Amino acid sequence: MRMSRFWLAAVAAGALLGAAAPARAKTIELGALLPLTGPGAVIGTEQMRGIQFAVDELNAKGGIDGDKVHVIYDDDQAKSDQAVLDFNKLVSLQHVPMIWLAYSGPTLATAPLATRRHILILNSGAQSDALQKASPYLVNTLPSTEEEVKVMVKYLRAQGKSTAAVLYENDAAGIGGRDDFVKDFKAAGGKIVAQEPVQFGQTDFRPALLKLASAKPQVLYVVTTVGMVPLADQLHEMNHKWLVAGTTFMNNPQVIADPNAAGLIHTQVEANVSPALMAAFQKKMGVEMGFFSRQYYNSAQMIFIILDHMIKAKTPITGANMRTELFKIKTFATPVPMTFTSNTAIVPIAIEEMKNGTEVTITHSVAK
Amino acid sequence: MLLLQLLVNGIVTGCALGVVAVSFALVYATTRIFHIAHAGVYTLGGYLAWSLLAHGVPEPLALLGAMAGCTVLGAAIQHFLYAPLERRRATHLIVLIASLGALAVIQNLIAAVYSSDILEFTIPWASAVVTLGGLRLTGAQLATLALSLAAFVGMLWFAHRTLLGKRIRAVASNPFLAEITRLEPRAVYVTVIAIASAVVCIPGVLVPLDLGLQPYGGVTPLLTATIAMIAGGVGSLGGAFLFAVVIVVLQNLSLLVMPGEWSIGVTFAIFVVFMLFRPRGLFAAG
Repeated sequence: MRMSRFWLAAVAAGALLGAAAPARAKTIELGALLPLTGPGAVIGTEQMRGIQFAVDELNAKGGIDGDKVHVIYDDDQAKSDQAVLDFNKLVSLQHVPMIWLAYSGPTLATAPLATRRHILILNSGAQSDALQKASPYLVNTLPSTEEEVKVMVKYLRAQGKSTAAVLYENDAAGIGGRDDFVKDFKAAGGKIVAQEPVQFGQTDFRPALLKLASAKPQVLYVVTTVGMVPLADQLHEMNHKWLVAGTTFMNNPQVIADPNAAGLIHTQVEANVSPALMAAFQKKMGVEMGFFSRQYYNSAQMIFIILDHMIKAKTPITGANMRTELFKIKTFATPVPMTFTSNTAIVPIAIEEMKNGTEVTITHSVAK
Repeated sequence: MLLLQLLVNGIVTGCALGVVAVSFALVYATTRIFHIAHAGVYTLGGYLAWSLLAHGVPEPLALLGAMAGCTVLGAAIQHFLYAPLERRRATHLIVLIASLGALAVIQNLIAAVYSSDILEFTIPWASAVVTLGGLRLTGAQLATLALSLAAFVGMLWFAHRTLLGKRIRAVASNPFLAEITRLEPRAVYVTVIAIASAVVCIPGVLVPLDLGLQPYGGVTPLLTATIAMIAGGVGSLGGAFLFAVVIVVLQNLSLLVMPGEWSIGVTFAIFVVFMLFRPRGLFAAG
């Protein structure tokens, strides 16, 4: 019995000593909820590559003040309900202070949870307007669709286009984009002659395109996130006469390479990185560093800067502290520089046209 | 012209889904298994054809090769999954869940091997546009129409004119009697699923030829096929085919009078009302 008490006391003392040890772990665990299967997986995988490349690069250089970073990925399939389950798992079981997200639905679904549990959520892939005010703990490194729409509407009206039809995805991002375009195009003196929804993942656009074409618009504004190659092919098949315009989501290497996509124009959040970085990424990942890889690589660099500041100041790494530090730093000299005066970054936007398997920049602008 | 183009597009897609419905109906009517994994076989067919074409196999041989692969997969599902469950007297619900599990495995394997990206067939004639009067159809759509109709007629001929077809119908009609009369229902079940798998491979290749391949792309066609089978009357291959075409045409034409977000809901609401009046379907056998 005495021996048992001795061991009990020893274990308790050990536990107390352990509790008194520095709280900062040697590996900082962060979370990422991305669509790794399902129709959104192409973009989700591209986003994951961007984060992982940044993390590997950081850890190879010794981490942040000796601490390594590890990202726990979970697959939400771009579905809101799955994202909520995964969010709770990452926060309750893995105790991560921040989580990357993508797609408007999952990001909006987890935003109230982030507020309640003081978890920093970082969106570098979704653009629904609702994201701007969804949570004080949600930070967007991409401008909202509304900002892109403003740039495009200004351009279209300057080109003398006065009638437009809208093809949109029937989800948060698509509906938000449609509403913005309809509002801004009308405000600029244009007329909306038709609008049709398509489902996420749908590749048969013919019925919707036929109906829109019957309204004879000068412009077709597209707010969809997947199925761009079939869309370009089906547009070509119709021998259409309208100008097809879209958002950053049209930036897909397969679409750009498709000869049927020639003449399509879209707004593009500028995310130019150095050729050396592009080459290093290509060498390690075996694929070109696409737009979303650059976006998530860039936001990972921003997180590393925040963590570096916190570690140097010996600030506990929590979601609330990370958020405070982000707004304290405000301007980040990341590969694509970002400034935060609200929870959405200020970044440049261009309009690009697809031509002969590549893209040509038509104009530059800045989203505020 | 808009009406005509929507109608023709609906008929083309409807014929392809009609073949899915007919093959699904054949399996269900014979085995009473709600073969959800059929959606996986449908999807795999397209990917197999895509792989064979990527390796330089000529197009007709790629289709036949994909059909052979689907036949093997279908037979394997029956032999290694459904038959052992039947021997253990599993309920229909258990078999349904097992089938759902098989579908998830097939879809995830496809996604793991080919990625979740939308894959496109690069066959020039498939994307070439043919103008008939004011109608514009692609080569892929014309091939879908021709081969789907041929597959449907072939299935009807097989079921009614061949010895094997009559044997299948006998087993479907009364499995206990078939057992006594040595028609070997279990062997028939394997044959039926193998044949249905080969047949469903045809739209499984032709639809993605037009609209691209997706690992999870088989579920929606199977949903339409299931409703068509029930509305057409279980056991009626013609009923299943006809209703698949009607459903897709209705979905397309409904766009003329309502926005697209309502078309699927309204179309299926019509069928719910229809089923209230004809719960056994329009052409129910027996």
